[in-house]
Amino acid sequence: MCSTAAVTSGESTYTLELPYRRSVGPVVGAFLTGLRDATVLGSRTAAGRVIVPALEYDPDTGDEVSDLVPVGSAGVVTTWAWVPEPLRKHPLDRPFAWALVQLDGADTSLLHALDVGSIDDVSTGMRVQIRWRAERQGHMTDIECYEPEGAS
Amino acid sequence: MSDTTEVEEAEGGPVRFMQQHIALDYVMRVSPIATRFAEGLHRGVILGRRCPSCSLVFVPPRTFCNICTVAMGDSQELEVTDRGMVTAFTILTPIQYHGQQERQDYALASILLDGADGTVGQQRLLDLPLEQVRTGLRVEAVWASEDDRRGDGGGAMGFGFGSAITGWKPTGEPDADPASYAEHAL
Amino acid sequence: MRDVAVVSFAQAPTSSTPVSDTEAQMLFPVVAEAMERSGLRRDEIGFTCSGSADYLAGQSFAFVGNLEVTGAWPPISESHVEMDGAWALYEAWVHLQSGHVDSALVFGSGISSRGDLREVLCLQNDPYYLMPLWADHVSLAALQARAVLDATGKGERDLAEIAARCRRSAVANPFAQRFADVTADDLLAEPYAVAPLRTGDCPPVSDGAAAVVLVAGDRAREVCEHPAWIRGLDHRIEPHYPGLRDLTVSESTRLAGEAAGVGDRPIDVAELSSSFSHEELLLRAALGLGDAVDVNPSGGPLAANPVMATGLTRIGEAARQIHDGHATRTLGHATSGPCLQQNLVCVLEGDRS
Repeated sequence: MCSTAAVTSGESTYTLELPYRRSVGPVVGAFLTGLRDATVLGSRTAAGRVIVPALEYDPDTGDEVSDLVPVGSAGVVTTWAWVPEPLRKHPLDRPFAWALVQLDGADTSLLHALDVGSIDDVSTGMRVQIRWRAERQGHMTDIECYEPEGAS
Repeated sequence: MSDTTEVEEAEGGPVRFMQQHIALDYVMRVSPIATRFAEGLHRGVILGRRCPSCSLVFVPPRTFCNICTVAMGDSQELEVTDRGMVTAFTILTPIQYHGQQERQDYALASILLDGADGTVGQQRLLDLPLEQVRTGLRVEAVWASEDDRRGDGGGAMGFGFGSAITGWKPTGEPDADPASYAEHAL
Repeated sequence: MRDVAVVSFAQAPTSSTPVSDTEAQMLFPVVAEAMERSGLRRDEIGFTCSGSADYLAGQSFAFVGNLEVTGAWPPISESHVEMDGAWALYEAWVHLQSGHVDSALVFGSGISSRGDLREVLCLQNDPYYLMPLWADHVSLAALQARAVLDATGKGERDLAEIAARCRRSAVANPFAQRFADVTADDLLAEPYAVAPLRTGDCPPVSDGAAAVVLVAGDRAREVCEHPAWIRGLDHRIEPHYPGLRDLTVSESTRLAGEAAGVGDRPIDVAELSSSFSHEELLLRAALGLGDAVDVNPSGGPLAANPVMATGLTRIGEAARQIHDGHATRTLGHATSGPCLQQNLVCVLEGDRS
């Protein structure tokens, strides 16, 4: 499935479109349903490790994980990167930081954009919170981005 | 082009599906040999190349023989006539998938041009009811006006003829002897 | 384990000008050269394996067209991996271990310039949690770079030193795309791509291809003066999601290197698929490579990064050092997936006199 644009001087451009309707199953589905309800869920393994985002299988043992627990909507930046020129498909259309954030109660980090004005405003160890989108559907973008804790 | 993502769910029930529409842009550059082929088409000529090792004639022309793995250059180039025979065909009923542009049943044919050793595929047949499409049918090219002739860069569809050849029409000659195209299955 | 050697290696020159040839046309001279240098006839090749990615080509089943360069008539025994050609080499090596065949042709190729690589490579990411964010491979690498700098206490200058060294080394490599006599200061003046990575810390977009021929047993000595024997070959993979992993170490590289016997004897030359400058720090540490090891004398992926051929080129370059008599024990490394998720290590040795 593709649409073609005009042929000029030995080049043609086309857009390859891939429309998917992905079934999400009981674990990823539950995580996305949680997002719709402004809640982040993690998978709690038999050893008590809480994995966010929710995974269907314990990466250490391979066992199925069915125990889903809520974690906090705020946490600590474990690593970050600064995007001076966002790509057209990035979550924000202005310079932003990527942040891996270990939400309170989780043992792993969740990736999303962090809305701060400059590279000087982001650091490892800072606390941030989720900015929830006003209308949510059950999708990763229900989280609009992270923001510094207490910002709103 | 922007992506759209939507979620399908029962009213307030658990999320079961995630829609994801991915769109990636690509630039396809026309290879030098495809440009050469297109220039020939613009002049109303179909070019081919003959392998210096096995003497097979390839249309469109290739930069190497894929049987002998031997390079083929300009000195192996030749002109091929614009008439030949249908060696295979299929009648398609177009499924209306996203992006489909065809609406009615149509035929695509493989044509063995006189003097060539490989067929050109995905060709349209003109002035012929679908029930009369058959192997062995002798056909000749219907050329577009000179201004409208543009190669398609050697893409998978159309075999590089682009808009230069509108399609192929019956010549009126008797059908070719099946033995003459027996080795061409596609 | 059966003795298998790399007896020949060929690569396409890379350039900042996108190729207009088809991928098969770009591959043909590379495969032809590898075959010619191998001393084997086409009908002597027992197995063929290639690596490429249809999403780079922007066309489904694009890899099938590439097979034309092998002259697959009479029909050949072949396989393909939707991965870097280094994994095609792994499959070919396993095939040779079975004893059913005695030689193999391996190649990898890609025309990255057709699409926007930062968007295309997003398709390798988790579709539910990462793809919706379009967290591209440069952004993900930058996250790992930050973690490595935080953990090691190194700084952006250390990254620039690595990038500058690679670019200077590449001056001697006729196949490299990005080469210049630059210093760390020159590269520190460049803008950030995604901080802490500057444009010089990131690989160029390259179109290219590589091919090697593998031969088992004594026949390798008949066709090649200095065969590069594969003494160890292993690959390991970590979980996918970056937030699930410790990004400050490359555990899969360490395990693959251990299984490949990297530490058994000193390594003269290591060609690492460190596409981003900080990755060299991680890989050196994981493989235990000290300062005496000559790392990426070719310039590595920072000089030319033909995705799907980069890893195979590292193995080929490591083998070439032995073919040319410059080294006796070398290492080629390949990687796949975001933030060095999956890693392959190939240890090569010349005949010991």
